[in-house]
Amino acid sequence: MVKTHLQLNKSSAPGLALALVIGIALLLASCSRSRPPAIDTSNFSRVTDEAGRTISLPHPVTKFVSLAPNLTEIVFALNAGDGLVGRTTYCNYPAAAQRVETVGDTLKPSIERILALKPQVVFVSTASQLEAFTSQLEAHQIAVYVTDSHDLEGVFRSMRRIAELLGKQAEAEALLHQLDARVKAVEEKVAARPPVRVFYQVSDEPLYTIGRDAFITDLLKRAGGISVTADVPGAWPKFSAESALAARPEAIILPTGGSMGNANSNIAAALKRSPAALHGRIYKINDDHLSRPGPRSVDGLEELARALHPEVFEN
Amino acid sequence: MSARATFKRTSLICAGLFVALVIVIVLMSLLGSEKLPAQSAVCALLSFGKQSCGLTSDQSAILFDIRLPRILLGAAVGASLAVAGASYQSLLRNPLAEPYLLGISNGAAVGTMVALVFLGANEWSRPLLAFIGALLATLLVYRLAQGRTGASPERLILAGVIVTTFLSSAIVFVTTLMDATRIRSFTFWLLGDLSGTTSKLLWLALFIAIAGTIVLTAHARSLNLLMLGERDAFDLGVEVSRVRLVVFVVASLLVGSSVASSGSVGYVGLVVPHLMRLSLGSDNRITVPAAAICGAIFVVVADTLARTLIAPRELPVGAITALIGAPLFVYLLRRN
Repeated sequence: MVKTHLQLNKSSAPGLALALVIGIALLLASCSRSRPPAIDTSNFSRVTDEAGRTISLPHPVTKFVSLAPNLTEIVFALNAGDGLVGRTTYCNYPAAAQRVETVGDTLKPSIERILALKPQVVFVSTASQLEAFTSQLEAHQIAVYVTDSHDLEGVFRSMRRIAELLGKQAEAEALLHQLDARVKAVEEKVAARPPVRVFYQVSDEPLYTIGRDAFITDLLKRAGGISVTADVPGAWPKFSAESALAARPEAIILPTGGSMGNANSNIAAALKRSPAALHGRIYKINDDHLSRPGPRSVDGLEELARALHPEVFEN
Repeated sequence: MSARATFKRTSLICAGLFVALVIVIVLMSLLGSEKLPAQSAVCALLSFGKQSCGLTSDQSAILFDIRLPRILLGAAVGASLAVAGASYQSLLRNPLAEPYLLGISNGAAVGTMVALVFLGANEWSRPLLAFIGALLATLLVYRLAQGRTGASPERLILAGVIVTTFLSSAIVFVTTLMDATRIRSFTFWLLGDLSGTTSKLLWLALFIAIAGTIVLTAHARSLNLLMLGERDAFDLGVEVSRVRLVVFVVASLLVGSSVASSGSVGYVGLVVPHLMRLSLGSDNRITVPAAAICGAIFVVVADTLARTLIAPRELPVGAITALIGAPLFVYLLRRN
């Protein structure tokens, strides 16, 4: 008997395979049918995220995962860190965030770990390019809220939206009021100053910079500077060394330190003859303050403005 | 053909190709994301930078400090890879033997990455470890390809595939351990990129390209005899194991120095020697030096496209060589 079972002839093999597939499909279907409704959806509200996707969420959200360091920082700044049940290995600020369980890094989060944590929503930043991953989470009835900011206004808008979802509007108002005042103070100080032409070096080898879609381009403008690559398409283009030199930047910003360690602490060889290098106007600024669109971006703004216009900050 | 006649023909062809290379270098250095006044640039180039010819200091910095070193690096890389490919093909009697397809470039890439991750501060560690990686990968492929009946062409390519995929996994593993900001630079570098190198590594790459071409051209007669098979070559007086060692070491140096300075630029070692054999015949005394010069021309032109197509942004040159190389190779295969 066993032998006849194993001795499949060629004609029965596809039939068996088909039966197997149908069997598995039925099994899966029965699993999903027998699963009790995970969440009562009666008090759900439909919201549109910043990528234009409509999702439905309980209100307020009390249990969530963040897949980007800037979003983790926003959540803690809103005093909502208690609800954060998962974060990436890059989410190292504030110190309290490091006690939250990790779900992998931003580029390769573990879907199993996230499912096990049963969050109501997963916060994702467009910068992380997680489209495929997003649909996988949604297939498991986990809502994904995507933030997408291209300027400081957008960052503040993301903070306000996240606060609404978490029921932290009062905290958001206080925080944004304070941040807004600091931004205005900087802008007033540099308003009368001629803008400084800046080259923002993301990495020296190969040479990467910021393009028109990077939110740092807006941050530089508010700090009294102007990115010489503000018109280049994209957010993080690989850039021609000769064009960087030909743009004659008056100042070069090196985002380094923080999570970057000492990477990117030297200017590209091609820029050694730029006016910025000849006049010693090369500034290292903590990358965590510049590359994470969140509350600490205002620290980054202040540091940029002090570097570009030291004369108006002398007390 | 007598040795003297061959020498005369080789000299003539190489001189002609060299003139073409110089013309290409001058023309390509006129192109870039920034416009330079052509007449002044040619004048400055022909005076070897001694006269400004009306170029501003920024313009001459672009020409002599950025463009020309990159073009010379492209020439060195192209010559190195083409010569390495040509000699592997003769030694291993396999038209598909190429540093990229055999996994030798990947061996050099792993070496370079180890140097960057663990010995980042030391500039010379990169080409040194790249050379060691290339040599180890070569020996591994060669051992794997040896069956009881000797190395068959299929076995060699299969061994190359195994080593390539194994080393690719090693590269993925190392990049996973690196932080996000460095991964982007690495993926660009892995596709072949001539934009970031130091002048020391440039001079090293040029020196190795020229010296390697001379050494392998000097062994061209032995390589010709090896194409008949190792046993026949031995009977005709070729010290087979010594020649094999020379080719392995010199080709590993060539591949190692080019990968250390520019990542893995594919297809050069495949397309260029094939073109040479089709147009000049299969005598290595001509094809090896001619492949060096034509490889240089190929990569210099490909990199000019990489620099200018979407300027001021840039593409990796490896993508261009593959885009040109793959269809060209298919065409060559079908024509034969």
